[in-house]
Amino acid sequence: MSRKFAPVLLVAILLISLFAGCKKEPETIKIGLEVPLTGDYAYEGQGMEKAVRLLVEQVNEQGGLLGRQVELIVEDDAGDPTQAALVAQRLVDAGVVAVIGAYNSTATEPASEIYNEAGILHITPSSTATRLTQKGFQRFFRVCFLDDRQGLFAAKFMKEVLGAQNIAILHDNSTYAQGLAEHTKRYAEEMGLNVVFFDAINPDDTDFTPILTNIASAAPDAVYFTGYHPQGGLLLKQSGELGLDLQWVMGNACNNPELIQIAGLENAVGTYVTTEPLPKDLDYPEAKEYVAAFEAKYGEPVASVWWLMAAEAFNVIRYAIEQTESTDPAVLAEFLHNEAKDIPGLTGPILGWDEKGDRLGTIHVAYVIDENGNFILNPEQPSP
Amino acid sequence: MTALRERLQKVNPLWWQLGLLVLAILFPLPLGDYHRSVLWRTGLYIILGLSLNIIVGYAGLFQLGHAAFYALGAYTTALLNIHFGVPILLTLPVAILVGAVFGYLITRPILHLRGDYLCIVTIAFGEVVRLALVNNIFGITGGANGLSGIERPVLFGLVLRQPIYHYYLVLFFLVFTIFAVRRLENSRLGRAWMYIREDEVAAEAMGIDTVRVKLLAFIIGSGWAALAGSLYAAKITVVSPDQAKFLESVIMFCIVVLGGTGSIPGVFVGTLGMVTLPELSRALKDWRDAWLGLAMVTMMIARPEGLWPSRRIRMEIRAAKEEASVAPAAGN
Repeated sequence: MSRKFAPVLLVAILLISLFAGCKKEPETIKIGLEVPLTGDYAYEGQGMEKAVRLLVEQVNEQGGLLGRQVELIVEDDAGDPTQAALVAQRLVDAGVVAVIGAYNSTATEPASEIYNEAGILHITPSSTATRLTQKGFQRFFRVCFLDDRQGLFAAKFMKEVLGAQNIAILHDNSTYAQGLAEHTKRYAEEMGLNVVFFDAINPDDTDFTPILTNIASAAPDAVYFTGYHPQGGLLLKQSGELGLDLQWVMGNACNNPELIQIAGLENAVGTYVTTEPLPKDLDYPEAKEYVAAFEAKYGEPVASVWWLMAAEAFNVIRYAIEQTESTDPAVLAEFLHNEAKDIPGLTGPILGWDEKGDRLGTIHVAYVIDENGNFILNPEQPSP
Repeated sequence: MTALRERLQKVNPLWWQLGLLVLAILFPLPLGDYHRSVLWRTGLYIILGLSLNIIVGYAGLFQLGHAAFYALGAYTTALLNIHFGVPILLTLPVAILVGAVFGYLITRPILHLRGDYLCIVTIAFGEVVRLALVNNIFGITGGANGLSGIERPVLFGLVLRQPIYHYYLVLFFLVFTIFAVRRLENSRLGRAWMYIREDEVAAEAMGIDTVRVKLLAFIIGSGWAALAGSLYAAKITVVSPDQAKFLESVIMFCIVVLGGTGSIPGVFVGTLGMVTLPELSRALKDWRDAWLGLAMVTMMIARPEGLWPSRRIRMEIRAAKEEASVAPAAGN
């Protein structure tokens, strides 16, 4: 082949691939899944695909939805907003009824604009950025919970289970930790608790002795730290070494065994962590059944709560299609907004959604670190 | 073939240029929104490739941190729009200015570096920008999540929402870019760049102010990349530090080198190979990345001057090769 033809050939290949893959099969119900299968979040995305595929297979074995088979179309957005916008167009062009995704908020945002314009039902399993639900998109929903839900739970937990009256709140100035701290403060004050200390640490520091003595002199009944586990561990360690009598409660970014390694077991025992439950600890028959089926099929446990959330998103779509006997996204969205109450979910009963598309209720639970250095579900939980 | 070519050469180039433009306008019309978005992305990367081509292709300076300027443009547009409500299209000149100023500030102290040393500094600068964005510098860049909530551009009351409008917006700037780059290429400045690329000492001896001319290459190239960043922000409505990733810079660099250093059609071919083809072969998943690596290695061995090189570079590389194959014989 002459070298002069190389560019011509390239263009020819391009044109052929442009026109490939433009066929339509009306019989199946197409559901899109937009997750990061490559890139930094590939671990989560691949697990989410497995989780949803399991449910799709189960549904199809039982005869599908409304007598039609479900076809899952998976697209990889690599967690990147540019790719998210491109694959969102692909899913729209493929004629999906509903889309589950994306994993991270940065990818969800540009995609949600495209799904909204195309009028497709869009459920994110894991994007918690508040502003996603503030654009008035009528067909956008979350099955995960916003950070303010965790704040509400933490305040309730400290009041009802720990019987605290005066609490201290500590964050690390990151967007997430500061948000959680502020939500907790607001809810705690609404419940009549006194926030006697509210400040931030610098996550680059390693010596927290000054701030710890300040906290101790405010004499709180409980201290809520909303930052990440490396600093959480150091706080526990130094608080223990100083002999301070503080009851620590940590946010879900501290739900990590490294917390105990850094703190040392003797300093970490009795610390509470507010977090989404691990899939194995979900005490609902639907959850147990699903987790068992997942292990049987793939030979590995449901390692991340986000995998389960992705399956939950499919579960919601399935439920809505069955109940409304329709595949019109407008009808499905209307149903989820107004009529969906007490859906038997994999992550516990779904109480419904508010007008913005945020899930009502909470599934957060409190874990406690026991003498063996394990996170165990605290026997006492606040009222739902 | 030669007869055809001769006949084609007699045709006024304006005709086939006009033909290509009409084709570019009509081409997306029968396509779906996905393919229109792919075309949009292709156009955007051609602009980026052409901007980098000024630095790498014409002036012969290594720049492996070009994505930083792309990100700077996008963040400028995002910040101006989100905090001050400036309409998107009005942020374009500011973005260009910001890109150009940063291009000046960064390259002024390092211009005396040559080749690989310059290359390392530009890589470092790209990483500095990315890390600054990730670490939420001055509390305005939104950290790893980036900034969201950028408005849609409005042109004469028409809100540019659909991919097709964004394609035309990019096409407009692309045509303008090609026009400008062609003028530059044949200008006094363009010739000075190429002179420096060939032999800096000789260029200086001939009275070319090499520092000023090299600076201009960086300033123009960086400002232009920032313009592409603004166009990106206008369509995606989200900016994130991912834009300043090293891989982005590498892709831009490869577009220039794969297509043919210093050649405008080469940038088109390079973009098709580095951006468009991998996007369209999504079904191949992980193999897409393998293809990029394979293509690069094959290219460097079989066709170092690029797929569609500029005439000058081709002659140069061919001559160097012949010299190399002749030299050992002479040495014996």
